[in-house]
Amino acid sequence: MKIAMINGSPKSKDSISGQILKELKTCINNDATYTDYQFNKPQPSEEALLTLNDFDILVFAFPLYVDGIPSHLLSCLEKIQNSGLANKNITVYCIVNSGFYDGIQNSNAVEILHNWCRHMGLKWGMGIGIGGGGALLSMSGVPLGKGPKKSVGLAFTQMAKNIEQKSSSDNIYTNINFPRFLYKLMAQLGWRQLIKLNGKKAKDLNYRY
Amino acid sequence: MRLIITDTDASFLKTNSEDMVITNNDKIHNCIGCFGCWIKTPGKCVITDGFEEMGKYFSKCSELILVSKCTYGSASPFVKNVLDRAISYIHPDFVIRNGEMHHKRRYSNKIKLSAYYYGENILPEEKETAKQLMQANVINYDGEVGKLAFFQSSEELRGVVL
Repeated sequence: MKIAMINGSPKSKDSISGQILKELKTCINNDATYTDYQFNKPQPSEEALLTLNDFDILVFAFPLYVDGIPSHLLSCLEKIQNSGLANKNITVYCIVNSGFYDGIQNSNAVEILHNWCRHMGLKWGMGIGIGGGGALLSMSGVPLGKGPKKSVGLAFTQMAKNIEQKSSSDNIYTNINFPRFLYKLMAQLGWRQLIKLNGKKAKDLNYRY
Repeated sequence: MRLIITDTDASFLKTNSEDMVITNNDKIHNCIGCFGCWIKTPGKCVITDGFEEMGKYFSKCSELILVSKCTYGSASPFVKNVLDRAISYIHPDFVIRNGEMHHKRRYSNKIKLSAYYYGENILPEEKETAKQLMQANVINYDGEVGKLAFFQSSEELRGVVL
């Protein structure tokens, strides 16, 4: 089985989407071969356009942007559609993460990718939407399925099972297992810390033009 | 002021003299996810390509109108790119709105969001996604829902009062 892991983050390194794909791989039990792609620009690489056809599975991971797919990734999807994929025997999965605590807020982004599959004639596997994604990088040392990553681990296990069999099931919208009020507070403290590192004051966060 | 963002050349759109119309000049860069618009130059994007002040323009408008090819239920890449570059319109802090977590307002204006989508083969599922997406955007902008309409081609928008 050949699996393409497509990181749709706009960041070229240290992205949450990259971490997500790495962790998902650990859940999949087969002797698949993996190829990693970085879709962080509006144009997929020539290599990607030529080789995506050869895969059994495409797994996309990307951050939520304005309730949808980041524009550069949307552009890539459009270009792949224009280029065409002759192989219709491909199953597509995706994992969207957002800073919002509620995983369901990723649902439109998942549906947009599902609609792309409809146009492409590809099979839809499943999508996962993760709320509280902003905290995942700091939890990279926590094992999947434990503590704050318990529910995320369960969702990844379901997706991995589907991937092993090229099967489909309902999308899962979940979040980190961490109290919402504390996540909100830590995010606020985080922004204040970061803006001060940039030589500004906390009140500058409120700047209006 | 109405802010119209379109992937067409806008020449045939029925606009008013007070409207601000944003079209594609092939200079826009995609958001790079650096959060600079919140923590380096709050309220403004750090990428200087002419689209760095989109957040400010959002703050001056009463209606945001998207005229776009329907792309899988979303606005097209250019129009979505402009929306992505306007993240500075909102504040990084979270609030609870409608029982869910959303970003706090930076500004006080209430945006009415309308979208006019065109495309030869818009699937029923895409129309439903577009409707849900608009509602999600409105909640996140803390605005209100305007019009949502679908056309077979951009040409059909000629003469349509936005």
